[in-house]
Amino acid sequence: MNPVTNLPEKSKLALEALHQVLDPEIGLNVVDLGLIYRLDFDEEKKELFCTMTLTTSFCPMGESITFGVLQALEACFPGYAVHVGLSFDPPWSQDLISGEGLQFLNR
Amino acid sequence: MFGVPVSSVAQKTTSHKVVLPFYGYAAASLFAAALLILANSAAFTGHYFHPRILAITHILALGWATMIILGASHQLVPILVEGSLYSEKLAMASFILAGLGIPLLSYGFYYFEMGWPAKWGGRLVVLAILCYLINLFKSISRGKQDNVHALFVFTAGLWLFITAFFGLVLVYNFTYTLLSEDTLHYLPLHAHTGILGWFLLLVMGVASRLIPMFLISKYRNPRLLWLIYLLINTALLGFFFLYLSTVLINLIFIPALMVLAAVFLFIYYCYRAYQARLRKRVDPQVRISLFSVGLLALPWMLLLILIGLLLRNGGEQTSLALAYGFLVFFGWITAIILGMTFKTLPFIVWNKTYHHLAGIGRTPNPKDLFHDGIFRVMVLAYLAGLIFFTAGILAVQLFLLQAGAVLLLGTAALYNWNVFKLLFHKKPVT
Repeated sequence: MNPVTNLPEKSKLALEALHQVLDPEIGLNVVDLGLIYRLDFDEEKKELFCTMTLTTSFCPMGESITFGVLQALEACFPGYAVHVGLSFDPPWSQDLISGEGLQFLNR
Repeated sequence: MFGVPVSSVAQKTTSHKVVLPFYGYAAASLFAAALLILANSAAFTGHYFHPRILAITHILALGWATMIILGASHQLVPILVEGSLYSEKLAMASFILAGLGIPLLSYGFYYFEMGWPAKWGGRLVVLAILCYLINLFKSISRGKQDNVHALFVFTAGLWLFITAFFGLVLVYNFTYTLLSEDTLHYLPLHAHTGILGWFLLLVMGVASRLIPMFLISKYRNPRLLWLIYLLINTALLGFFFLYLSTVLINLIFIPALMVLAAVFLFIYYCYRAYQARLRKRVDPQVRISLFSVGLLALPWMLLLILIGLLLRNGGEQTSLALAYGFLVFFGWITAIILGMTFKTLPFIVWNKTYHHLAGIGRTPNPKDLFHDGIFRVMVLAYLAGLIFFTAGILAVQLFLLQAGAVLLLGTAALYNWNVFKLLFHKKPVT
């Protein structure tokens, strides 16, 4: 599932960068795992808001994953202030895993 | 659908400083217990009420299994209840109290010194469990989610407290006549409160959440888990009532059958979760955990045979009783811990060491932080040791017992190697 965004072109770049951020337990990237919900760019203020979720709200790897997302986006968009926040509405479910993600899990 | 604004950054999980000491202590206890099993193999040819066997059982039950479960549950309870741990200080207090109490208690049993070592050991263990229980209650009551898994864990904690408190009463019963019968008479009650109330409920409560999570399985069946919960608790209360009522003792097979039914329902639950998994390749750590679920049925079937023989022939079936106890502690409990240690500990260590590199640098995979080859050899040594030692108990053969004990000591050594490799892991200098 593609995340909601106001700038599809920039969002593509962000998603490419986020493909490098893995859930260490599953070994799958956060995009194909369906953890990224929204990418909102504010071009005037040079800000990027990333709304994401975790597979469970008290995921022991949660801090590492959100930190990884923040660092990957900061590296991709230098000069932007990046904000990463969590949403559990809707909660993550297996239905959010992409086709590529399912293929990876089927290997 | 996804228009809901951001809530917050990721919640802080329990600090590794609180959790890791429990893992180290448990690993050392497993090694100590395995060493004592080898040194005292001959004791396993006689009655289970033997000072050395009592000491080994308490090192395994408290030092090994309970310590690692307490450590892991300080990390896992926040996942189950979706809220943070109430107090890390209480968690540390329970580690220190139990860490001091367990060797004292074990020393007391080993030399059958029921004076201050056993009494102080017992008191400290009871206090440690009280700290854990308060922490658990406070964490669950302020958590966001009331669920069946959390109830399993809390009820298990209550049974653990009852087990430990009753155990302390039994220690006092050696010196003062507190109970109407001698301590040996109450041993089955003490043992089964711990085995069923603490270990079985806790393992089922946590595994029913973790196994589907690790398999990425869609299967959920809270109603089935409620049924399992009711069966085990009713069986345990029924066992207490029937055991203490000398008239109805012949009905004691009913609670045993209820536990067996709960075990088979739990095996069914895990099987359905396995069938509905999205992750097709199951790693060796989850495989050994699933194996332990299957292994659950073995001691309870043995228990039914034991009850049948006791009711028909009377007298004591010492070998069967010993094999039953051994299969509980060195069978399913040890098997699930061997698997789950390497499914939890590498991630705690990874989080501690590589958290700041996430998303920007190359980091090792958590499962690469321990030696996979050693893990596999450990599993083989464990399976062979379990078979040899159980056969040795049943056949009353010292040679088989010694061969099994050597293999179990090897298992413990390999386990310790990997656990301490993880605990002392440092980021390589680049």
